[in-house]
Amino acid sequence: MSSRTSEGSVEVASVRDLPSVPRFAPFMTLYEREMKRFMKVIFQTIVSPLITATLYLLIFGVSLGGTIRLPSGDSYLAFLIPGLVMMSVLNNAFQNSSSSIVSGKFSGDLEDLRVVPLGKHQILWAMSIGGLTRGLIVGLITYVVGQIFYFALEGAVLPIAHPLWLGFFLVVGGLSFSKLGVPIAFWSRSFDQVSAVGAFILLPLIYLGGVFFSLENLHPFWKAISQFNPVLYFINGVRYGVLGTSDVDIGLSAGVSLAALILFHLVALRSLVTGNYQRW
Amino acid sequence: MLNDTPIRISSLVKDYGSLRAVSDVSFHLERGEIFGLLGPNGAGKTSIISTLVTLEAPTSGTVEIFGVDVTKNPKVTKSLTGFVPQELIHHGYFDVREILEFHSGYFGRRRNGDRIDYLLDRLSLAEHAHKKVKQLSGGMKRRLLIAKALVHEPKLLLLDEPTAGVDIELRSSLWKFVAELKGEGMSILLTTHYIQEAEELCDRVGILQGGQLKTIGRTRELIKGLTTREVALTLKPGASTIEHRCLIKVRDLPEGQGREMILRIPAQREVGELLSELNMDIAMIKDISVREGNLEDALRRVLEGV
Repeated sequence: MSSRTSEGSVEVASVRDLPSVPRFAPFMTLYEREMKRFMKVIFQTIVSPLITATLYLLIFGVSLGGTIRLPSGDSYLAFLIPGLVMMSVLNNAFQNSSSSIVSGKFSGDLEDLRVVPLGKHQILWAMSIGGLTRGLIVGLITYVVGQIFYFALEGAVLPIAHPLWLGFFLVVGGLSFSKLGVPIAFWSRSFDQVSAVGAFILLPLIYLGGVFFSLENLHPFWKAISQFNPVLYFINGVRYGVLGTSDVDIGLSAGVSLAALILFHLVALRSLVTGNYQRW
Repeated sequence: MLNDTPIRISSLVKDYGSLRAVSDVSFHLERGEIFGLLGPNGAGKTSIISTLVTLEAPTSGTVEIFGVDVTKNPKVTKSLTGFVPQELIHHGYFDVREILEFHSGYFGRRRNGDRIDYLLDRLSLAEHAHKKVKQLSGGMKRRLLIAKALVHEPKLLLLDEPTAGVDIELRSSLWKFVAELKGEGMSILLTTHYIQEAEELCDRVGILQGGQLKTIGRTRELIKGLTTREVALTLKPGASTIEHRCLIKVRDLPEGQGREMILRIPAQREVGELLSELNMDIAMIKDISVREGNLEDALRRVLEGV
């Protein structure tokens, strides 16, 4: 940018010559950073959730569910696989964005995002897609393990009834929970607070959202209460995508899922403007 | 769209709740100069830098970088600015090279290996490129912050206490590097508590106290205008002292070595002129020493209001 003249003085290119900042490269860099971050701790981010999902499949799907048959004639394992896949996607998408922000607050590098030319939309989408990517990777591995168990039990591969609906709910669910992790991490004042939200709010919502049971088996009171759990719609949407049947109308599931995505997106954007980037 | 004034701050006010950290501050930076913001802790130095890099929004007033308002077009101002924060950062998961690659990418430079190699080499970090930050010494972490600030070739560099907690050797090499950056045409604003180093390095300084800019000017001119020279005349035994309005102290030297007169004169005044005025017998003067005023004296005078 600068050159030395024959007299030894320095000529500097006029600031008018400076190129404008590209939009895509900063976004891609943050997305790449999010990916590299979870790949650096692969045992914690991929292997550990995989072991958990495998144990669920083995204990609930194969051992306890071995004797249960669905009205459609499918095994309980077929019912469980889509629920566990979605649980993996939601959990890991949330964990990725929230832990990225929380660890950035702890190390002090979250402030970097304020002094570089990244806009709030770029930050949010990079983090959301980073979380979605991790969620989909763990979800895919859970699905493959589930298929192995299913093949061992049933002698056939569990077919996917509606691949487009499956993709829709996986992406919308993963993005939603990834975005939800952003405000929770921004507004938390310690690691404990983020863990508490995960353990006492999100995990119960996921478990009570129909991963392991059908809504039809619940007492009418709890069935009515469950209608207010947004996770129910994500899980039933994925179940519809795989099995072609679900407890909830697919149109309603899609509508609630999209509404949740928009709500979490707006809340996350707000947190990026008002949240605290400073080091703990 | 852009002009040639790296920083122009006009009537800046920054409040934190009921605390006014910056009170109606206005100044500008000239292109290619090193400008020092000096003052005690809590004077408002970091608050001003924080508004420049948009870590904090001004309560009122305007802050412009190369003529662009930082609140209206922050992406442009950020792309022109390199910022070295006061606090060290850990960057838990990544090594030195990865950190620089990411930081470069945030500015739209995703394939910037040559610049990264250059900075690693120039800041003596090349052999530590694959170490995590926690494996680096405090000085190396400080140099990494500087490399991050420079990785996108900014036109303006903001250094907030870049040598805090750094040993004398590294301090000296960092200041040398800053002087070289100035030589390459970069405009630099820095804050520091090492006043002697600011005196050697800064073309101009501004002195802040309680959020207000107390004085601003060329470093040499400020020193001249705000300080005095102390002239010590060592007289031979038997010589008598002379009464003068500039005389501040007379003391007897041990073992009959004579006496010492200490006179304080304005920084602009010449010693020869003083001697003529004293009208002393030169033969009775054994030695003359002059202690010049420095930036620390000027700073103390402004802060203490004496």
